[in-house]
Amino acid sequence: MVFLLAVTGGLQRLPDAAAATAPLAGADDLKDKRIGVLIGSIHDAYATKNFPRATVLQYKTLSDMILAIKTGKIDAAFYVRESLLDLFRNDQELGTVGEPLFTVPIAIGFNRINDSMRQEFNAFLKQARSNGLHQDMVRRWIIDGSTRMPEIANSEANGRLIVGIASDKGLPFTAIEHGRLTGFDIELAERFAAYLGKRVEYRDMEFGGLVAAAATGKIDLISSTLAITAERKKRVVFSDPYYELATSIVALKKNIAGSAAAVQNETTVDAPGFFKGIIQSFYSNIIHENRYLLIFDGLKTTVIISVFATVVGTLGGALVCFLRMSRKPLFSVLARLYIAILRGVPVLVLLMLIFYVVFASVRIDPVVVAVLAFGMNFAAYTAEIFRSGIEGIDKGQTEAGISLGFTRVQTFLHIILPQMVQRVLPVYKGEFISLVKMTSIVGYIAVQDLTKASDIIRSRTFDAFFPLIMVAVLYFLISWTLLQLLEYAERRCDPKLKRREAVTG
Amino acid sequence: MIRVEHLSKKFGDLTVLRDITTTISKGEVISIIGPSGTGKSTFLRCLNLLDQPSGGSILIDGIDLLDRHTDVSAIRQKMTMVFQSFNLFSHLSVIENLTIGPIRLRGLARHAAEQHSLQLLRQVGLAEKANAYPDELSGGQKQRVAIARCLAMEPEIILFDEPTSALDPTMVSEVLAVIRRLAKGGMTMLIVTHEMDFARDVSSRVFYMDEGSIYEEGTPQQIFEQPQRERTRAFINRIRSFHYLIHGPDYDLYAMNAEIETFCERQILPKNTRHNLLLLVEELLLLHQPLLGKAPLELQIAHSEKHDSLELVFEQYGVPYNPLEQDVHGDDFGIRIIEGITEALNYQYLDHRNRVTATLI
Repeated sequence: MVFLLAVTGGLQRLPDAAAATAPLAGADDLKDKRIGVLIGSIHDAYATKNFPRATVLQYKTLSDMILAIKTGKIDAAFYVRESLLDLFRNDQELGTVGEPLFTVPIAIGFNRINDSMRQEFNAFLKQARSNGLHQDMVRRWIIDGSTRMPEIANSEANGRLIVGIASDKGLPFTAIEHGRLTGFDIELAERFAAYLGKRVEYRDMEFGGLVAAAATGKIDLISSTLAITAERKKRVVFSDPYYELATSIVALKKNIAGSAAAVQNETTVDAPGFFKGIIQSFYSNIIHENRYLLIFDGLKTTVIISVFATVVGTLGGALVCFLRMSRKPLFSVLARLYIAILRGVPVLVLLMLIFYVVFASVRIDPVVVAVLAFGMNFAAYTAEIFRSGIEGIDKGQTEAGISLGFTRVQTFLHIILPQMVQRVLPVYKGEFISLVKMTSIVGYIAVQDLTKASDIIRSRTFDAFFPLIMVAVLYFLISWTLLQLLEYAERRCDPKLKRREAVTG
Repeated sequence: MIRVEHLSKKFGDLTVLRDITTTISKGEVISIIGPSGTGKSTFLRCLNLLDQPSGGSILIDGIDLLDRHTDVSAIRQKMTMVFQSFNLFSHLSVIENLTIGPIRLRGLARHAAEQHSLQLLRQVGLAEKANAYPDELSGGQKQRVAIARCLAMEPEIILFDEPTSALDPTMVSEVLAVIRRLAKGGMTMLIVTHEMDFARDVSSRVFYMDEGSIYEEGTPQQIFEQPQRERTRAFINRIRSFHYLIHGPDYDLYAMNAEIETFCERQILPKNTRHNLLLLVEELLLLHQPLLGKAPLELQIAHSEKHDSLELVFEQYGVPYNPLEQDVHGDDFGIRIIEGITEALNYQYLDHRNRVTATLI
């Protein structure tokens, strides 16, 4: 509890330190300040080019960036005006500085070889503009701030359409509400899919990974407020623009010149009681819009990846171990090489390599890729664990087995293996736990696991504390539960315990 | 039953077995004795191919073991092995150690295998330990379980690789008793052992192995009472000797004494004997003093464990000279001391060498 108080207290105190600087009136006031942008976004390029003296800090998600503003880590951030308008509906602390900086056309991105689909989309867009659908969408989502997806009739007769999105983009373009996707981009994608008669399948990815995914054919199209830039044009082709997106500067109201909050900011930071705050957080992060469903799904994905990667890794590890201990030099050198490389490459890099390079042109479920990558990594470690386990067993055990008339394989199965399992379990358990925790990086390849679920919630609630603590607790519980299962297995393997149970039972 | 022809085994450049040819018939109990490192265990391990022979042939009941089409595992079931270090399967209980082979390899039902195994455990006196685990047993008990494990396979031949070498002296007899009983039952056995008395009364034939070959073989009587060849004799009488060369009058007395003491410790000689031996060496050296430096003086101490005797020999090249009859120091005090602690004292002149022999009491 003391810890919780210290953290929550700290979060509220920090902004005061930033408040000491002069208030912001326009873009010119930012030239030597700290500016936040999303990594790989057009704002990123714009800030670097036009604010050479400013410190540009790159964030992965909007929620991280907003949190940075609120905790005074940056003075202002560049972001899409339309999204900010939605944000301001729920947040009284933030405001825009001056006029929008610039506008950019946004469009749908396609794989370069998929020009026919691009032309179909352009035809669809033309139709939507002429029959008033486009105008209606702009009114509902952007001006009225609607969050409800309309019903869209779709025959779904012509196969599937794989759409790359970034669900943490935020309203009015993309968000998850009540456990389902919603927003302008989503409606656009679904209307286009209905136009084609295809069933939509979403790939929820990091925004920075979308262009690469489209370029390698992982997805059919990107519908994620993608601005047209020369750099992106090299990788993907764009449809006709479907909207002009403005970029605004966002900062804390109390730091903005002329804002009412700047005069008397004390009233806006109206800290609620501690327990009331917790309950409020619990409600907004878990209950509201059925967010527990997101967490539940993420939990399921994390467990699935952990369990299957463990199975793949254990079997793979056994194979690598077998090769490593082979008397044939070719096998053993190959296995050594495998172990050295897999242990020497960060698993995140491996994950992305497999997803974006190895399976570049293959449609493959990212969960499978995750299982494969973690399994391969796990195999390198377990192979060495198994080897040390086997080599630690006295040679006499093998000799005794063989001299009784067992073949080498039978000796291994009936005599060496049971003893090895007993020996390696303690180390194996440790590796297993670190595997479970390691899976938290799968968000990079569009898998919605537990960590990603918390990111999505944070992108809606802009509350860092509660979702992170909750995720930490959940990871602990997963690890602990799976560990109990392994320990149960360990007890089953220990002859002493087995007999003690037999005696008492 | 077992026919071995020109068997040889090399580990790299090291030849461990050379040209072994022998025949073993059904019901024979063969003890294999000899110094350490002469390939006794390797010979046994080659017989069931735990070590792959480098040359020669092994025929078991007429089946060539080295033929690639031979089912070696099937032959091993009929020719099991007891190891020096027991090698009980540590993850299995005693009864499971016995039943795993019959169940997995001979297709016995669990119940039948357990009944049979319990009977075997009763035979080796360990039925009450059936549910214990190997690490709860003493060395002697482990080895008896290992023997029972072999018997569970109902073998025709059992190979014993130094079955008592890893045991405390107090546990040796319980294991030997079990093996004796098997011998009486007519089991064909090959036993590598250092227990001479045991080898003598249990075996029908004894192989004395030295430097990788069967140096001498015969009935226990022949080998233990009239060994024909020199190295067999030395081994049977268990003679260990110590050599030291004195080059001149300025030799390092303390270093020599230290080496003699180490030798005595290794032979586990009583303190008194050690003291007398050192005294004898000192007094004899005093008598040899006029000769030191003329030619190297060779000192040899031989200990026979069997006869429990200690013999001392001083030898030097040169003209005849009997140090025992020279009055170097003007008194016969030294001689009197020597005579007081020796059983026999001799002087000989052979091949231009003066030789003094003394046997300590």
